[in-house]
Amino acid sequence: MGMSSAPPHILLADDDPNSRAIFSEFFERLGWRYNVLGESNQVMAALASSGYDVVIADVTMPGMDAMQFLDQVRLQSPAQAVIAVSDNASVENTLAFFRKGATDVMARPVDFSWLEHIVTDVVNVLRHDQSERKLYRYVTSERTEMSLSCRELAELNCFSLPIIERLQECGLLDEPCALRLKLAIQEAVMNGFEHGNLELLSAWKEEIQDDGRDKFSIVRRQRLDDPLYGERRVRVVSWFHEGVLEITVSDDGAGFLSRDGETIVGSACPNDLTCSGRGLALMSSAVDIMRYARRGAEVTLIKQLMKHEDS
Amino acid sequence: MEFPTEIIGEKGYIKVTGDLDTETAGEALRSAFNEIYDKGKRTIVLDLSGAQIINSYGIGKVLMCYKRLKAENGVLMVKPLQGFVKETFELLMLDKILPTDK
Repeated sequence: MGMSSAPPHILLADDDPNSRAIFSEFFERLGWRYNVLGESNQVMAALASSGYDVVIADVTMPGMDAMQFLDQVRLQSPAQAVIAVSDNASVENTLAFFRKGATDVMARPVDFSWLEHIVTDVVNVLRHDQSERKLYRYVTSERTEMSLSCRELAELNCFSLPIIERLQECGLLDEPCALRLKLAIQEAVMNGFEHGNLELLSAWKEEIQDDGRDKFSIVRRQRLDDPLYGERRVRVVSWFHEGVLEITVSDDGAGFLSRDGETIVGSACPNDLTCSGRGLALMSSAVDIMRYARRGAEVTLIKQLMKHEDS
Repeated sequence: MEFPTEIIGEKGYIKVTGDLDTETAGEALRSAFNEIYDKGKRTIVLDLSGAQIINSYGIGKVLMCYKRLKAENGVLMVKPLQGFVKETFELLMLDKILPTDK
């Protein structure tokens, strides 16, 4: 059975001394690197700091809630391969383990030749994925450009950039990070659309009319019907290169800053309830750098997805 | 889109059953809020457990509810938050002004 490059690195989570001895002998016979831990909290700490190819977990360890354990692993290390070993591998239990994200499930007594087969397969897939990620980083330089009028944007339920999905599929963006980025891009596009192009003031959201509607919504609809505003465009340019994602959103408005080149690094945390601060805080919290040009009519969001030392 | 409402004693409850990130969802929140507000209730509780996502638009609508109540010495509360919505509330420090209804 072929194994690409280095031997697998295994974390065995098992508290039974006899079982640990049998697994250890098996790992040593095959020349695999391994570590053995007996408590779920030790396992979680080890996963946070060390790169294991596969976790082989006795999910019937005393004091361990198997489902909670799998949930924790999924939350902390979404891509971690976990083989669940159970005394009770009923169809119902096995399905439940798979649904919680287990890569495979094995019943005791363990069939070690089958375990070798599974781990080899998992590691081969993993190594292949990693080489693809490197390839993506070094070879791919992707630039896309989109341009939409305000009327077209108003018809969209939500604006999204396909590159975010692709980077997520490649494992360069985890789900929470991708969600924050998607929302940051939506905020930037909506800013360009509503504030830049339609010239709507945030303060109007606070001005409630007699019918309970806010002035912002009313004027927004009026201006969308006016070609002077409605045909103005928002352009979104995304550029992924050398592990850095850069997204520039620009509009046809006059901008809102008093001068060019204002840069916000990190998270802008508004300490009041003003409308304008909220969108900016949501945007800047999702990226490493947020930079304005053309007096605010153009904003660039920069997020480093892979560092050079990762190579 | 409509968000169900309920009145229990002196409190009105709004169950947000979808993401608060569009004009439609914002309108649904405004409409549900008005329904309870017009019945004279000045303590209103938002249950955001059905929302995975909230953006500045949704936050704006929540704050609009907060300000209308505050103007009449009322209170806008939230059910315990979780996930992305909780993170966003903390980021924008909304957790400091909207008490939790436990």
